[in-house]
Amino acid sequence: MTHMHIPDGVLPVWFWVLGFIVMSMIMGFSLYRLRAMDMKKKIPLLGALSAAMLVGMSLPTELILPGYHINLSVVTGILIGPALGFVAAFIANVILALMGHGGITVIGLNTLLLGSEAVLGHGFFYLFKRFPVFWRAVFATVLTLFITTLILVGFVGMSHFDPELLHHGEEHGRELQGNGSITTFAVLVFTIGVVGWLIEASITGVVIRFISQVKPDLLGHMLHVNKDGKGPGGDDRD
Amino acid sequence: MIDVARIDHWAASGAGPLHEASTIAKIIFLLLVLSAAVLSRNPYALLTGYGVLLVVAAASGLPWSRVMVLSWYAAVFALLYSLSLRSGGWDRMLFILKAITPSCAMLMLIVSTPYPRIFSLLSMVLPEVLAAGLFMTYRTLFILLDMMDNFAAAIRLRGGFSPGSLYKNSANISRGIAMLLVRAVERASRLYAVMVVRGYNGSMAEQGGIRLHRSDWLPITTGTVVLMLVIVWQ
Repeated sequence: MTHMHIPDGVLPVWFWVLGFIVMSMIMGFSLYRLRAMDMKKKIPLLGALSAAMLVGMSLPTELILPGYHINLSVVTGILIGPALGFVAAFIANVILALMGHGGITVIGLNTLLLGSEAVLGHGFFYLFKRFPVFWRAVFATVLTLFITTLILVGFVGMSHFDPELLHHGEEHGRELQGNGSITTFAVLVFTIGVVGWLIEASITGVVIRFISQVKPDLLGHMLHVNKDGKGPGGDDRD
Repeated sequence: MIDVARIDHWAASGAGPLHEASTIAKIIFLLLVLSAAVLSRNPYALLTGYGVLLVVAAASGLPWSRVMVLSWYAAVFALLYSLSLRSGGWDRMLFILKAITPSCAMLMLIVSTPYPRIFSLLSMVLPEVLAAGLFMTYRTLFILLDMMDNFAAAIRLRGGFSPGSLYKNSANISRGIAMLLVRAVERASRLYAVMVVRGYNGSMAEQGGIRLHRSDWLPITTGTVVLMLVIVWQ
């Protein structure tokens, strides 16, 4: 379990509405970036990778470690780029919500979580280009999942905030600070999550290395291509 | 674990009153239950509502025990969240029921409605890329699941899985996923090309279905009952 699917009814209304607004803005920007894309190439890739994320989540977990599942969101981000990766995260979340895994009202927040894994994973994979492909993917995944777990803790912390208290002056400040324990939540999700990050990172590393050896054109997103025209594998394949 | 293929089988093969109801009526039912979960301040009202949903699911011939088990997946995050609020037993119970009740309603919707019907409704409001992406994901998902089943059977027969061997299992699964990904992309590309040649232009063939029928009384009445329970029993 490298991230959690927030169910309906748990978070305050203002918070999930805000999640939808932010998600819609990022989705609008992503679709704007994709307006000139070649549909014949990108739509099948989008479908295959969104489906792969769902299959990853439905793998028999006892084969890896009971209680955990993989997301393949970083793999998706690396293979199809941040804009299409965010769209894939939305699609995966809609289908997950239709299966009762994660809520309808929180599709916005869940997409922000899963989408940020695709976007950050892609960015870190690009940044670590001096490393061999396997380790690029591993480092990118661990760092991405650490940050997205922080985002999750941040979401929960924000949801404890009651906007009505803003209108009641300073006497309510202490009440606000004492409202709940983010620490308890953070300790729980980081303790449970760290094993999941390592499993996800090792699987992501092997998958990306395999693809770079067998079908490198799948890694041919423009951000991965070096200025000298070399592809993602180039000289750094291990 | 999400058993997508079994969910799809239930949705396509059932013949109960919920299967006969229109998709829009079941979406209204879902929205009513969602509103109940959002408005609720009393766990007993939601617990009763959850019970009503299970009774209706059982009476409609849905796999109610599987629906109940799957709906409890949502309770994990709700429990962690309630711990973060240092809440008492009352609030914890409320949070868990707020999570599992809409989850149960959602599961009742999907085990009684084939995905293409839901996607055809969604494609009316979503941009083309998202609608096409949803449809391609749905089509590719079953291809991938089938390939994954074959892969799992093959690797078991060759002794590739050993209980407790995290390293060996992870390595084999990773290679399998990598191979499946490459093949899935190739198959999805071929499928999309065939669909385009045969006239697919981003819209779903099965549309309409936004009118209510006489057979829609069950989902709408059930949703209304759950919402009224919550409003009256605050």
